[in-house]
Amino acid sequence: MSDILLLIGRSLKNALRQPATIIPNIAISVFFLFVYNSGLNSVAQLPGFQGTYLGFILPVSIVSAAVGGAGLAGQTLIKDIDNGYFTKLLLTPTRRLAVIWGPMIASAIILTAQVVLVMLLALVMGLKVAAGPGGFLLVVVLAFLWGMAFAGYAAFMALKTKNAAAAQAATFAFFPLIFLSYTFVPKQYVTAGWLKVAATINPTTYVFDAMRSLLNTGWSAPSLGVGFAVTFGFATVTGILALWAARGATKLAS
Amino acid sequence: MADHDGEDRTITAEGLHRTFGTVPAVDGVDLHIPGGRIFGFLGPNGAGKSTLVKILTTILDPTAGKATVAGYDVQRQGGKVREAIGVALQDVGLDPLMTARELLVLQSQLFGKSGEEARRKAERLLVTVGLDDVDPKKRAGAYSGGMKRRLDLALSLVNDPRVLFLDEPTTGLDPASRVGIWEEVRRLNQELGMTIFLTTQYLEEADRLADEIAIIDKGKIVAEGTPDELKRKIGDEVVELQFAQCEDAEQAYDALATITPNRQATGHDLRLYFGRAAENVPELVRALDGAGIRLQGLTIEQPSLDDVFLRVTGGALEHEVDEAGDEALATANEEVAP
Repeated sequence: MSDILLLIGRSLKNALRQPATIIPNIAISVFFLFVYNSGLNSVAQLPGFQGTYLGFILPVSIVSAAVGGAGLAGQTLIKDIDNGYFTKLLLTPTRRLAVIWGPMIASAIILTAQVVLVMLLALVMGLKVAAGPGGFLLVVVLAFLWGMAFAGYAAFMALKTKNAAAAQAATFAFFPLIFLSYTFVPKQYVTAGWLKVAATINPTTYVFDAMRSLLNTGWSAPSLGVGFAVTFGFATVTGILALWAARGATKLAS
Repeated sequence: MADHDGEDRTITAEGLHRTFGTVPAVDGVDLHIPGGRIFGFLGPNGAGKSTLVKILTTILDPTAGKATVAGYDVQRQGGKVREAIGVALQDVGLDPLMTARELLVLQSQLFGKSGEEARRKAERLLVTVGLDDVDPKKRAGAYSGGMKRRLDLALSLVNDPRVLFLDEPTTGLDPASRVGIWEEVRRLNQELGMTIFLTTQYLEEADRLADEIAIIDKGKIVAEGTPDELKRKIGDEVVELQFAQCEDAEQAYDALATITPNRQATGHDLRLYFGRAAENVPELVRALDGAGIRLQGLTIEQPSLDDVFLRVTGGALEHEVDEAGDEALATANEEVAP
């Protein structure tokens, strides 16, 4: 375990030394929160809308932070491969998985910190978490897991392409998922059939639902169950892909 | 095989092969390097040196064959091998955002040392490689090429390795830094009894440092022995003839075929190998005169490793040096992450 902790610590320290890799992502999340909340909050006046629009739009800000922030794991791996440090780590008795998981977990921790910041900002803006402090915590946990899922995807792309630009572009390819869902208005107000189909097969929808239930309506076992199941499933798939790519890159000789 | 202190420092290989696609990079290499020696592995760029180092250090699997390092099988006991070895590859492996101390402490901790032990080790190693007076806040990315190379060497020593692999440790360094690395390599070998596997493109480096040398060309070992043994193999003395034109050297090469088959033309010069050189000089001069080839100079000297290399590979070694960096980097990237 200690080798993973050491490599997480190294990635965290390096990320803090390059604020430029973190700040834009926080800025985008805050931008989403302010712009959509102030521009679209009259949606909350529609009949049947539950809770506040701030609680409804906050998960969009959180998930966008997860998608953008996860690229950090891929960037770290590509830089390590480019400057030879990846090989240097492989020449230690360190477990091969620690070399891959270190940046992935560090990336998820950083974006979780970003999420906490954005949520604290939302509290200042008047957010009342319907499920209380436990709900607040669970939203953070869900964001961490979603971040891990994207970090796994970013690590996979980095190890397969070994190209920083390609890995970053591949991460951003997931941004449309944020908008192919019930992003700005609840399901009952969406009329386009194609968007309903897209939202149904889009895993992001279920993460939004779970977070929105905690923020706006309180504890909802079905929403949370599906939300966590989808997140775990997605994280498992990307985790397996990352391990598969890592196997090629490190040959797992130990 | 255990050495005098009970610790195995040997390197062995039997029928080692590695191909990339259909191209053989290492083609049937056998090695038996006793503990405590400096073994020089000499060859031009692309000869297979770095591929062999990567196999012996567990980064790359062989296509066929078997190798052991420090008594452990490189394929089945990779973790044990890595605990016993230090490796400084041709391309230094440093995180440019970290300081030298941070890199050394982390590397030590990854080898299982406690934080306090790791910090003490880092300070000692910084003194060893002469980086202790560098600004402690300076990040590795801001180091000069020579400093990076020395820091990389320090990183390879954090675990007090029994076997140290140095893959072209002085390529690209200025003469002063090169001599500094040589002195350190000798000290590690003499004081700590480390087996040192050194690949190089510099004949002088191999000649000065290595107890034994193997020359590799196109993936195969084409000559092996002590520097003196290798030099003796090609003759006791060399006659070097100097000409004004390359064409003269080439004509002389043909004209002197009846006098000795052991000859090598490089540019304006022609080198001929004899048991006793002086006895053959009058005949050489007469033959050149008869062929109408004008001689500019003649010297008699001892054979160098360069002569050995020219004879066994049919090509000059130093000509390849300039291309080494780029090609090796491309090869390393392909090999580490296929």
